[in-house]
Amino acid sequence: MGRAVAVIGTGQTKHGRRDDLSYPDLVRQAVKAVFEDAGITPKDVDGVVYGSMPSMMEGVAYNHFYFADALQVVGKPLLRTETCGSTGQSVAHTAIHWIASGMADIVLAVASEKENEGDAQATMMTILEPFLLVVIGGAPVAFSLQSREWMGYYHIDDDKAREAASIVSVDSHDGGLANPFAHIRVKLSKEDITSAPIITYPVRFYDVCPISDGACAVLFASEEKAKKICKKPAWVKGMGFRGEEYFIGDSNKAVWQSTIEASKEAYKQAGITNPLKELDVAEVYNPFSYQELMFLECLGLCPPGEAPDYVIKGTFSPGGELPCDPSGGVLCTNPIGAAGLIRVAEAALQVTGKAGEHQVEGAKLALSHAMGGAEQFNGITILGSEL
Amino acid sequence: MVEQKEKPRKVASMGLVPYEMALGPTWTKFFEGFKEKKILGTKCNKCGRVLVPARPFCPRCFEPMEEWVEVAQEGTIVTWSYVNYTYFGVTPDMIPVIAATIKLDGVDCAMGMSTRIGGFDIKDFDLVTKKVKVGARVKSVWRRNRQGNFRDIDYWKIIE
Amino acid sequence: MQKVGIVEVAQSAGTESSLSLMEFTYKPVKEVLDKVGMKRDEVDTYILASTDVFHSGMSCANAFDWDAAGAFMKPASREEGDAITAFVYGCMRIMSGEHDTALVVGLIKGSENPENDTLTSFVADPFYSRPVGIQETTAAAMQMRLYLQRYGITEEQCAKVVAKNLGNALFNPYAHIKKRVSVDDVLNSERICDPLKALECAPKSEGVCAMLLASEEKAKKLTDKPVWFKGWGSSMDTFYLGDRDLLDTQLKTAAASAYKMAGVSDPRKEIDVAEICEPYAFQELLWCEQLGFCAQGQGGKLIDSGVTQITGALPVNPSGGVLAMNPYVARGLYRVAEGALQIKGKAGEHQLDKKVNTALAHSTYGFCGQWQGVVILGS
Repeated sequence: MGRAVAVIGTGQTKHGRRDDLSYPDLVRQAVKAVFEDAGITPKDVDGVVYGSMPSMMEGVAYNHFYFADALQVVGKPLLRTETCGSTGQSVAHTAIHWIASGMADIVLAVASEKENEGDAQATMMTILEPFLLVVIGGAPVAFSLQSREWMGYYHIDDDKAREAASIVSVDSHDGGLANPFAHIRVKLSKEDITSAPIITYPVRFYDVCPISDGACAVLFASEEKAKKICKKPAWVKGMGFRGEEYFIGDSNKAVWQSTIEASKEAYKQAGITNPLKELDVAEVYNPFSYQELMFLECLGLCPPGEAPDYVIKGTFSPGGELPCDPSGGVLCTNPIGAAGLIRVAEAALQVTGKAGEHQVEGAKLALSHAMGGAEQFNGITILGSEL
Repeated sequence: MVEQKEKPRKVASMGLVPYEMALGPTWTKFFEGFKEKKILGTKCNKCGRVLVPARPFCPRCFEPMEEWVEVAQEGTIVTWSYVNYTYFGVTPDMIPVIAATIKLDGVDCAMGMSTRIGGFDIKDFDLVTKKVKVGARVKSVWRRNRQGNFRDIDYWKIIE
Repeated sequence: MQKVGIVEVAQSAGTESSLSLMEFTYKPVKEVLDKVGMKRDEVDTYILASTDVFHSGMSCANAFDWDAAGAFMKPASREEGDAITAFVYGCMRIMSGEHDTALVVGLIKGSENPENDTLTSFVADPFYSRPVGIQETTAAAMQMRLYLQRYGITEEQCAKVVAKNLGNALFNPYAHIKKRVSVDDVLNSERICDPLKALECAPKSEGVCAMLLASEEKAKKLTDKPVWFKGWGSSMDTFYLGDRDLLDTQLKTAAASAYKMAGVSDPRKEIDVAEICEPYAFQELLWCEQLGFCAQGQGGKLIDSGVTQITGALPVNPSGGVLAMNPYVARGLYRVAEGALQIKGKAGEHQLDKKVNTALAHSTYGFCGQWQGVVILGS
């Protein structure tokens, strides 16, 4: 896969409701943070990749123009990548390919969202054309439909799925408490989760991500530059991305091909044959607790249909064989466009030992993942401490 | 940077942008079928799959789908969800709604999301969980005054 | 670095189509695959470029566009913004060694959108620019006035661009606007945003352009006339118009990078044809200066000299350019396609008489050309 690429720095804003900052200032904070982390300056950067959800979400079109100064991209090339919820992963992939192609040595990847400035759900409704997929319910209904399809396909009873989803929610929220950047930082019990108001059955309030503002920046560098500049690069070991059909009923969403194939490709590139054993931590995209169960299976981390069993016995909990979302994941922090890139940043923090209170001890190999569209796209990036 | 002592100021702004999107011949024909209470699918010559809604081409084989078939009005619930919240564009009188994807008999994909289950008091959530199940059989119920759009199918009723 | 070749291109026409965006996109993509004799699944990777709300009625355009682009279950991605970036990203994927073939497609149906000015008013930030009414046209008008005043460029010279490009478009079967206009017609057209006149502003068009790229070895197998990717440069200017010298644009920086990578030292002599984005007629003159086709301030003299006519030494926009066809966001890829067709000798009725070895494709969008991109192609 061309020349090796590494993450040499990450930066995040404190995610949450950020009425205190204008959108460009929010982006600037993450950019400032990543340069401080990497110890280089914007002068050293060859190009910038920016991504966010469709910028109708914040009411400004092509907002990469608006952010020219915040991104420190004046006088430099900029590419804008967008694949809905998986944007953050796709932004990382663009940056990685740019360097692997030989046309850049250092690329800044930035992704952001300021959902509280607009109506996120209204924007997401326009993903669907107005003739055929006319629907009420928005993103939560898409995920709920999928959750139930999966439960039906594998004959998993409601209670068992509910139990496993609750554990995911408890674990993720505990992660949020240990992550100073996270939006939602509350201690939840299983009872809190199962008694919360119904959003789109079976999904309840604490099974669902928040509406967040936030930005994330990641600096990528070629092998040569990374070894020169960075004490502890996080090496890109593998990538994968697949998308299914637009019409949601066309593909089986319980046996989720885009997740399965994207992860297979990433594992192949990374030389991973037993992901559950070989990975030390997984930052899985989990805006909905139930959906994480499907991801665990389709990412090949446990056998199909058995995610609830593995979750219930603690495999993916803190201290388990493969802790998932120690950062709190998307369930605690969801500035949508940035969420996929935050997973990359968190994976980098883990394998370089910089994750502070939510560090998974001795993590060397980490998976980051994001999903986009109405269950249509999946992107994965695997980072490791060794080249 | 300037320090903020009072509540942060915001500027409110609303944008309204009109679009006119072409249905194209494939979906025009599909909805003409709705006027006649017909559900039309297209069949791929290569893989043999029948897809609903009708398509101009098969997304997998990438060949034009030119064979039209009328499909059954009955099918099976692949999945469903109970929608009970509002957001911009959805008002309290529009909910609750039972969204579903339905696999019509003889069709190789499920029709997703625009389909709703109805025909009983869906505000009674206990009743909903009793009646609506993955695998339940459903049948289309058409509106009397059909316009040639997706609302022509009023709802799908559970066939006990 | 791995060489990348353009194997084949396909374009849609710019006139309004009654097809759905899905049907409309499928045609050129299928056409490219058929021409090359490849199945959808045999292409290694796909890069789309399209646009969400605002320049399309849907958001997360990757969702709806994916099927028609042929990307089902393939390694793929999507650029939001001008499709020349999809071309460049496709090249990157091949140059990385990861893929041998890439299908790149830029798509839009302008007829489904309201006016471009309605949409670009949302590019303006809501605090300073939008309340004043800044959108692409008003910004360009200010840039034009500055251009006329600083260098003494005349309105006649700007109007000549329209006459030239629309005249060229008569020989481009895909062009949207096909009518012969005289300089007087242009000067007499309504002053919609003085000094800009109605005929000096690009239309809003349909446009799907699809292209198959391949690694050197593969390209040579698939076609006897591959067109090589020689260089690329791109640069961003700052956002607020008052922060910029509107006539000293980032196109200079973008062009310098592209020329360096392609080994071009004297563009005026070495470029055989240039396809550039001129959504406002005067911008063709300004961009020619910034691209080094003539000295600064000499854009008016350049068009007077006849050098940029289709029969001249450095024809600019033999396809008719953006004034004849403006599929916003796809237009940059159309420039690359037209450049490739000229090198291949396949530009039909608007094929240049002389041999074309080096073509320049340019793309810009954003207020007064805030984003600039240049691609150099070679035989």
